[in-house]
Amino acid sequence: MLRDITFGQYIETKSPIHKADPRVKMVLLILVVVLIFLAQSMYGLLLSLAFVSMVVLVTKIPLKTYLKNLKAVLPIILLTSIINMFYGDNDSGVLLEVWKLTITYGGLYRAVFMALRIVLLIIVSSSLTYTTTPNDLTDGIEHLLSPLKFIGLKSAVHTLALMMTIALRFIPTLVEEAEKIMNAQKARGADLESGSIIERIKALIPILIPLLISSVRRAYELAEAMECRCYNGGEGKTRMKQLKLTSVDFKIMAVTLIYGVAVVLINIIL
Amino acid sequence: MAILEVQNLTYTYGSDAIFIKDAVSDVSFSIDEGEIVGIIGHTGSGKSTLVQHLNGLLKPTNGKIFIEDNNIWDNPKEIRKIRSKVGLVFQYPEYQLFEETVFSDIAFGPKNMGLQGEELEKRVIETCEIIGVKQEYLQKSPFDLSGGEKRRVAIAGVMAMRPKIIVFDEPTAGLDPKGRQDIMEIIYNYRKATNATVIIISHSMEDMAILADKLLVMNMGSLVMFDTTENVFKNGDKLREMGLNVPIVTRIFDVLKQKGLNVPDDVFTVERAVEVLKKLKDGERNA
Repeated sequence: MLRDITFGQYIETKSPIHKADPRVKMVLLILVVVLIFLAQSMYGLLLSLAFVSMVVLVTKIPLKTYLKNLKAVLPIILLTSIINMFYGDNDSGVLLEVWKLTITYGGLYRAVFMALRIVLLIIVSSSLTYTTTPNDLTDGIEHLLSPLKFIGLKSAVHTLALMMTIALRFIPTLVEEAEKIMNAQKARGADLESGSIIERIKALIPILIPLLISSVRRAYELAEAMECRCYNGGEGKTRMKQLKLTSVDFKIMAVTLIYGVAVVLINIIL
Repeated sequence: MAILEVQNLTYTYGSDAIFIKDAVSDVSFSIDEGEIVGIIGHTGSGKSTLVQHLNGLLKPTNGKIFIEDNNIWDNPKEIRKIRSKVGLVFQYPEYQLFEETVFSDIAFGPKNMGLQGEELEKRVIETCEIIGVKQEYLQKSPFDLSGGEKRRVAIAGVMAMRPKIIVFDEPTAGLDPKGRQDIMEIIYNYRKATNATVIIISHSMEDMAILADKLLVMNMGSLVMFDTTENVFKNGDKLREMGLNVPIVTRIFDVLKQKGLNVPDDVFTVERAVEVLKKLKDGERNA
């Protein structure tokens, strides 16, 4: 049950996108998200669809894996499309009229358009977490945040990145711990599966308190272990793995830029 | 009479085709009422997975488990009732303490069984007597206790449910020699007071030699031996092949035997060793 919580959904397929620099991937992702929103016409959106399909193909991760992520946001997609369905301009011809609600062809078009846009956004965003290990992600974030140094937040950047890395590192540990505690309390007759909502929330106390206590204990232990190895903050620390731009990065940048220029051109021409 | 019977138990981890692995494969045994059975095996041999089946925390992929001749999975909705019949003390049980006072933590299990008021209080106090937790501790916070005391309280929490079968997963892990002995005594006292059936997973062959009537040896998910403690420890070579061993005292006597001394091969405890050595000394004196 708890094992279903997957965080850091990294899937190794050794694709070029896997090898790319996390900084590049993150900046380009932001760019692509903006571009998908910019694509106002059907042509722009179709171009985005083509671009995202290409990303999916290049990552070598099956489409099925991507679509799994959609399940969670399906209600949002449906809600957006249904609401948009009623907002078409009336001159495009009425498709259906029920009571005071009218669905026009224009409305239907909008609904499909919106749904496709959300689907594309989610797929392209998941491609980042699928192809980048959590550690690379925090590395990238640290680099991208480094300009903050100039406004007096010198150690904050490193500390923030370290906190993120530790948090990610301990998620599986805590999941395992939670499972152990759940089993132990179940063995003492705790009922976690039935009862009203309030009873169920109350039933979580015997699990949450030991979990909290052990997290604090682990935090102390980790801090001690780090101090024993002379960790004293980020100042002047060098890294074992230096991030470097390679030819893959430039290729990915080029392709994305071509897509971006095309979207902008389509917007201007149409 | 067999109180617990396991038939062809198999448990497979992972539903993905890649991760499929039999943690326990085709294990069958039966345990009589009042017996103390030790489970020994190398790390990852399936001991912990096996015992989590006994109180229905895990559902076997294949096979059946009978407690007092009832198949525990006949009625999955009633599985919680099995947990008061079969108590399971996990490794490092002190990490499951959560209540404000020692009293309420020990009372958690029996309360879940439906005990209330005076009956509940009586049960907690009786349990404390068995395990030797002082009355004045009952109103303390469990988090103010020392490591060894915490573990006692946590064990008491399971014992307070008065399970007919009580299973311990490495109850002495991480304790000092005195703490280990205390825990062993608690287990012994509980059995004496309730005549419960006891199952202990342990890596200490010395503890097993003193406490266990029978030993169940697991290796790579399969049951390799299930026999009296003496008969299992007579197979030293076979145990060593699986990364296990016989008690230290037995190893010393093996060496003595190789050196040509006429000693029996059933010396597994220090007590017995002293007895044999005394006899040997007397014999020499007489000769």
